Amino acid sequence: MIHHVADMDHRPPPGMGGWMPVEATIVNIQQENFNTRTFTLRFVDESLCESYRFEPGQFNMLFVPGVGEAAISISSSPYQIGAMDHTIRMVGAVTRGIDRIGVGGVVGVRGPFGRGWPLNKLAGKDVIILGGGIGLAPLRPLIHWLLRHREQCRRVVLLYGCRSPEDRLYAAELEAWSGRSDLDVLVTVDNADEHWTGPVGVVTNLLQRIKVNADQTVVFVCGPRVLNRVAAWNFLQLHVPPAQVYVSLERNMNCGFGRCGHCQYGKHFVCRDGPVFCFADIADIFAKEEI
Amino acid sequence: MSQTNASNQKYFLPRAGLEPLVRILRQRGYTVLAPTRRDEIISLAPVESADQIARGVHDHQDGGRYRLTQADPEIMFEYVLGADSPKRYLFPPELPLVELRVRGNRFVPTSQPPAIAQYAFLGIRACELAAIKVQDRVFGHAGQDTLCADAAEYYRRTRRQALVIAVNCTRPGGTCFCASMGTGPAATEGFDLSLTELRDGFLLTVGSQAGAALCAELEIRAPTSTEEGLAEMKLAAARSHMQRHLDTRGLKERLEQTIDDPNWERVAARCLSCGNCTMVCPTCFCFTVSDSSGLTDGVYGRTRRWESCFSHQFSYVAGSGPVRSTIAARYRHWLRHKLCTWWDQFGVSGCVGCGRCITWCPVGIDLTEEASRLGRHVPGAGVVPIPKAGGTKEALP
Ligand SMILES: Cc1cc2nc3c(=O)[nH]c(=O)nc-3n(C[C@H](O)[C@H](O)[C@H](O)COP(=O)(O)OP(=O)(O)OC[C@H]3O[C@@H](n4cnc5c(N)ncnc54)[C@H](O)[C@@H]3O)c2cc1C
Ligand code: SF4
Ligand code: SF4
Ligand code: FES
Repeated sequence: MIHHVADMDHRPPPGMGGWMPVEATIVNIQQENFNTRTFTLRFVDESLCESYRFEPGQFNMLFVPGVGEAAISISSSPYQIGAMDHTIRMVGAVTRGIDRIGVGGVVGVRGPFGRGWPLNKLAGKDVIILGGGIGLAPLRPLIHWLLRHREQCRRVVLLYGCRSPEDRLYAAELEAWSGRSDLDVLVTVDNADEHWTGPVGVVTNLLQRIKVNADQTVVFVCGPRVLNRVAAWNFLQLHVPPAQVYVSLERNMNCGFGRCGHCQYGKHFVCRDGPVFCFADIADIFAKEEI
Repeated sequence: MSQTNASNQKYFLPRAGLEPLVRILRQRGYTVLAPTRRDEIISLAPVESADQIARGVHDHQDGGRYRLTQADPEIMFEYVLGADSPKRYLFPPELPLVELRVRGNRFVPTSQPPAIAQYAFLGIRACELAAIKVQDRVFGHAGQDTLCADAAEYYRRTRRQALVIAVNCTRPGGTCFCASMGTGPAATEGFDLSLTELRDGFLLTVGSQAGAALCAELEIRAPTSTEEGLAEMKLAAARSHMQRHLDTRGLKERLEQTIDDPNWERVAARCLSCGNCTMVCPTCFCFTVSDSSGLTDGVYGRTRRWESCFSHQFSYVAGSGPVRSTIAARYRHWLRHKLCTWWDQFGVSGCVGCGRCITWCPVGIDLTEEASRLGRHVPGAGVVPIPKAGGTKEALP
C-alpha cells in the first residue's frame, strides 16, 4: 500500500525532460557554515522562472559542464517564484565545482524530481519536523509551506541538531522562527561553545522535551542515515503510527527519474518513489543493512 | 516490430532462401544483425550476406564454460546464444546523449540526437523476444511511464523501426531454462517472421503484416504436413531436453523473505563481483551518464554507459561510501532484482531464462541453483544443501 499521495505531483516542465540541463545563473551565495553554502539560482530563461514549480522535499539534478551532476534538494519556499535556493555541502567533484563557478556564473538544472513531503496528511494533526545537519535543507520548503497553511494543523515543532552552533544552517531564519508563537523550535548541538545556552546532545534527545500526542502526530525526518533510523525508531516507540512517519532518504543518483537504477532501495527507486518515504512502505527494509 | 500476429500463416523456406532474405532486408535499408562466429563465440553482428551467419557449429555451455565445436555444415542454427543480445543495439553499451558548448550564460547543443538505425534482427531467439518485451516496459515503450520520456527516445525509436526474424531453438543450450520461465524455446509473439530449421530449409511462420509483406518477395511454398509435424516435434524435444530448471511457483513471494538468508554469504564467497552477469543479461538496464570535457575544443559531452550494480561506485554516497559495500549485498540485490523486485517495478520477471549469466560467470555461479536454495532456511537447521541442477522441483519441499 502506498500511503503517500502527492497533492501537487510536480514533474519537470516541458523541455526539461531530457539529458540537456537547463541554464540557471547563480545570483547569490550565502555562507551557512564552513563547508556549506546556499546558492540562489535563477533560470536564464525568464519564462521558466515564472512557470517552474516544485513540491517541498523535491530535488534537482545540478550540473557542472564536464564534471557531472549531483542531486540537491530545493531549499527555498515553494512560494518564492523566480529564484530558488539549493543548500550545498562541498564534498566532491560536482559540489565543489558549483562552488567554483561563483556568483554570476551558470550551472545546469534538471528537475524537479521525486515525491516530496505529503502535504495532504497534516490536517488537524500535530507536526513534528526532525532534521540533522544538512537534512534541514529539504525541510525548509516544508516549514515555509506550513507557515502559510498554519491553520491546517495543530502544533508545529521543529527539532534540529547539528555539530556546533556555527554549523547551524539558516541561522538567522532559525532565530526568527524561534520568535514565532505558531512554531516551536528546539535546536541542539553536539559540541557547544561558550555562547551556547541551548541543549547539547543528539537531536533525538529533544524528544524528551516535548509532549508527543502519538496518534495525532505526523513526523517528518531528514538527516544522515543513522539519525533517520534512530529517529524513526524513537517515534515508533512513542507509538506514532508507522503510516504517519515520513523519512527522506539519500542514495546515489544519476538520472533522477527512475531509469539508471542507481538509487534502488528494495523495490523502490528513491529518485522517483521517494526521496520522501512513508515508514509503512519501507518497514520491511528500513532496519536492514546494505539494501 | 509489429504487435499483432497478423496471420500465423506457415510456409516452407528453402535454406537457399536466406540469401535473398538478407538481400531484400538490406535493400530496404535495414542493418541485418545475425549470429556470426567471431573469436570462437557466437556474436550478434551486422551481416551483408547469409554466408556470414554462423553455421555448422554446436555450442557447449555450462557454468563458466562456452565452447564451439564443428557440427553438420549444412545445419545453420543448432547453437543458441552468445554473450550479446539485442540489448547491445537497442540499448547500446555506450551512447553519446548530448554535446554542448558554453556560450555566455547558455548551453548550446553542438550535436544532433544520435541517428536511429533500422535494425533487422535475424536469428534471435524466443528468450530474446521476451527480453525485448521486458525492456519495452523498462524504457516505457509500452507506454507505462511518461516521466522524462525523451530520455528513452533512442530505445523507443530504434525499437519501433526494428524487424525481427526469430529462430526457434531446436537444440537448447546447456544453461538455458526458458521453458521454466515460459519464454521459449519457441517464439509465440513479438516477431515478424519466425523460422524453425528442418533438414533442408525452414518452416516459416508469419507474425506480422510486415512479415507477410516480406514473404511476398521470398521463394516460399506451402509446407507439407510432415514438415509442420517435424517442426513441432523438434520444438517439443527441445523443451524436454532442457537441462536447467527454475521452479517459479511462489518464487517472488519466497524471495521477499530472503533478506537475512544465510545463503548470500555462501554465494558471496565465490562471487568475484565482476559484473559479467549484468553485462550479458538481456534485461539489465542500469547505466551511468558521465560527463567529459574536450580539453581543447570547449565541447562538453554527456555519455550514457552500461553500469553494473556489482560495481563499487554504483551505490556510492559521498561521506559514507557505497551503500552495498559487501559482495553478499550486491549479489542479493542483483538476484532479488531479477526474480523478485522486478515484478514490483515492471509487472514482469526480470529474468527470461536465457542462461547467459551462468555461462559467462567466471566461477560458474548458477542463479537457478542459488534461487532454489534461498528462502528455504529454517532457523537452526543450518544451510539447505545444494539441490541437483534440474531436480529442484522434486528435491525440495
Ligand atoms: C534526494 C537527494 C537530495 C540531496 N540534497 C542535498 C542537498 O540539499 N545538499 C547537499 O549538499 N547534498 C544533497 N544531497 C547529496 C548530494 O547529492 C551529494 O553530496 C553529491 O551528489 C555529491 O556529489 P559530488 O560530485 O560533489 O561528490 P563525489 O564524491 O565526487 O561524487 C561523485 C558522484 O557520486 C554520486 N554521489 C555521491 N554521493 C551522492 C549522494 N549522496 N547522493 C547522490 N549521488 C551521490 C554523484 O553521481 C556524484 O556525481 C542529496 C542527495 C539526494 C539523493
Ligand atoms: S538473469 Fe541470467 S538467465 Fe535471467 S535473463 Fe539475465 S542473463 Fe539470462
Ligand atoms: S540486476 Fe543490477 S544491473 Fe541489472 S537491472 Fe538490476 S540493479 Fe541494474
Ligand atoms: S537516480 Fe536513476 S533510477 Fe533513481
